[in-house]
Amino acid sequence: MKITRRELLISAGSLLAYSQLGSLANAEVNIAAQPGDQEMIASMCKALYPHDRFPMSIYMDVAAGAIKKGNADTGAKISFRAGLDGLKINKFDKMNFKKQTKYLKSIENTPFFGLVRGHTVVALYDHKEVHKIFGYQGASFDKGGYKDGEYNDLSWLPEPRIEEHPDLTAFLDDSSPKKYASLKIKKTF
Amino acid sequence: MKIDKKEKAVVVIGSGPGGAQVAYQLTKQGIPVVLLEAGRRIMKEEYVNEEWPAFSQMAWLDKRTMSGNARIVKDFNGLPTWLVKAVGGTATHWAGATPRFLDYEWKTKSTYGSVDGATLMDWPIDGKEMKPYYVKAEDAIGSTHRGGRPPLPANNNYKVFAEGAKRVGYKFYATGPYGTNAAPYDGRPASIQDGFNFQGDKNGSKWNPNVSEIPKALATGKLELRTNSQAVQITTDSSGKADGVLYMDTKTKALHRQEAKVICVAGNSIETPRLFLMSASSRFPNGLANSSDQVGRNYMRHLTGSVYATFDKPVNFFRGETMAGFLADEVKHNPKRGFVGGYYLETLALGPSFLGAFLDPGKWGKKFADMMDGYQNMAGMWIVGEDMPQANNRITLGSAKDAFGLPAPNVHFDDHPNDTAMRNHAYEKGEAIYKAVGATQTYRVTPYPHTHNLGSMRMSAKAKDGVVDKWGRCHDVKNLFVSDGSVMTTGAACNPTLTITALAIRQGEYLADQLKKGNV
Ligand SMILES: Cc1cc2nc3c(=O)[nH]c(=O)nc-3n(C[C@H](O)[C@H](O)[C@H](O)COP(=O)(O)OP(=O)(O)OC[C@H]3O[C@@H](n4cnc5c(N)ncnc54)[C@H](O)[C@@H]3O)c2cc1C
Repeated sequence: MKITRRELLISAGSLLAYSQLGSLANAEVNIAAQPGDQEMIASMCKALYPHDRFPMSIYMDVAAGAIKKGNADTGAKISFRAGLDGLKINKFDKMNFKKQTKYLKSIENTPFFGLVRGHTVVALYDHKEVHKIFGYQGASFDKGGYKDGEYNDLSWLPEPRIEEHPDLTAFLDDSSPKKYASLKIKKTF
Repeated sequence: MKIDKKEKAVVVIGSGPGGAQVAYQLTKQGIPVVLLEAGRRIMKEEYVNEEWPAFSQMAWLDKRTMSGNARIVKDFNGLPTWLVKAVGGTATHWAGATPRFLDYEWKTKSTYGSVDGATLMDWPIDGKEMKPYYVKAEDAIGSTHRGGRPPLPANNNYKVFAEGAKRVGYKFYATGPYGTNAAPYDGRPASIQDGFNFQGDKNGSKWNPNVSEIPKALATGKLELRTNSQAVQITTDSSGKADGVLYMDTKTKALHRQEAKVICVAGNSIETPRLFLMSASSRFPNGLANSSDQVGRNYMRHLTGSVYATFDKPVNFFRGETMAGFLADEVKHNPKRGFVGGYYLETLALGPSFLGAFLDPGKWGKKFADMMDGYQNMAGMWIVGEDMPQANNRITLGSAKDAFGLPAPNVHFDDHPNDTAMRNHAYEKGEAIYKAVGATQTYRVTPYPHTHNLGSMRMSAKAKDGVVDKWGRCHDVKNLFVSDGSVMTTGAACNPTLTITALAIRQGEYLADQLKKGNV
């Protein structure tokens, strides 16, 4: 259920679809089962969130997850099949990036697009390899946290003050309702 | 301690900062308390230092619906809030910023005057009365920069923030006040700069009731903590006093009843009014304690918004404390800026997983990907400011049902023009800070699902204007109290938890005294 719940947050408006993702099993007709289908979806994932630094294998992983969701129920299946057909007919994977973007704009309101985009933005940026490429180190607790010289290793700016400014208390304390009520309101709305 | 369900007990509902604090104040004085918590108890060893798994471990995901013109309604329909269902409440997620209200923020109606479309009102208490409770609350939480406690060191995100602020001409920046230990305090260790405050803090340096008030209250021998116990109705006797709580075992769905002599509700600003509305009866046809029709109204979520920026050199902003960076220069009411009230800027770091989801919900394409691609060179800040209470920003019982067959709450939220004007001002200032230290790209980020939830059971001097009196006691039902942030008459600019804690300490002391005198 973990995947289901996380998508719950992300997929604006499609909560119901996602909450029914539990029942993936026993699908009789599977869509996107042809050779090349996963590659086609992966090219869409890449056009949506293009990163030159990411190997295609990451987008292939993401595409696999999207296809799984496309098979989740009958409703998803029929819209996914139609969307995938569209990509194929238009040879989406052979278009240049500009044309791809234009094509994606034209299908932006379809459930197929919503499913693939909603899945991709979560699965892609949650991908362990993406974290590595981004230089995101994540958890450090097991190593005793980030050490002095790590969490504060930025050296292109001067060391800042960490204590409060000596005038702060006076600044915050000077807040009598009477005094502030005398300020005139200039309404801009 | 075991308390019989037939015994007329003091019952507290919800174990977040509000409920746990009241339970601790009472048990500390020898008064037995039943604490009902809808979630389970998650110990720190179980916390997960990954964003989505931690979210699904503890978030409140029961069905909710939304309406209104705020962008959040479209972006995250069904998930209006970012709240926790576990012992310790949303403070399991909380970062730790602990500023206080300014004196005039208790009296916004008399200070700001009338603002079209807003239901500003003065609190029936003031800054002078609250001052000693703020000190107690800071000591309870262990706020840095207060009570002789040292500041946290600067992490990379703070270095960018502070230097940018300085170059813009600001001076009131610091690494706190912040509710995570810089030095060992109250039996908890100093921060090891391992981040993941939002995921519970495995090191236990961060204050939250699950590592403080709950174990302390249990140690008095006077607390019975009932987990997986979700209150679904408060019942009343023939005289109109509350006399019991119906609650459900969330695992077995069995319904139980606890007899009560006093009830304190602290389920946060959606579940608290929802419970009151679900407790409608022939005596209270519009919902319990709702003769004023104010239950559920004036719901606030603070201004909020974020600014992220990328630079041509590395920042690694994810390392270290999540939100240990503060700027107070814009907090003062200054209507010349084109809005009433003020705001703080606070450092904030998210991992790529959350950032992808929150940077610009629904967006795709090259600009978005380029921003994400700059992750290592990124700095971030959060805007928290006063938002306007509005009568129709409101929690109601919708027609949808949750998994238990109970009416799901609907959250209606419209942005007030004052909120929008303030947010735009803050975006500009935030961008200026980052540009002053060489930002190559800046990004204005829309509010996340609401983390600060306030105001739906507002405190008022007169019964007709609100739900509870200055002690958090219901105007209509004298043995029924509200102990969470929903009592906030107005929300001020500051993060709310210190004030929730201060109010709960004050209420707990008052209630203990009244119970001893036999007045309730
Ligand atoms: C990511 C994040 C960061 C934050 N950072 C800060 C910060 O830096 N500074 C700050 O001041 N605040 C911060 N907050 C806000 C802070 O967490 C809340 O203000 C605070 O937890 C509210 O306390 P509460 O007791 O009112 O409610 P909660 O903490 O939400 O507790 C309510 C509890 O009641 C339980 N409950 C609800 N309904 C029922 C029911 N019917 N029966 C039984 N139990 C029930 C819930 O399960 C929950 O445990 C942050 C929040 C989030 C999400």
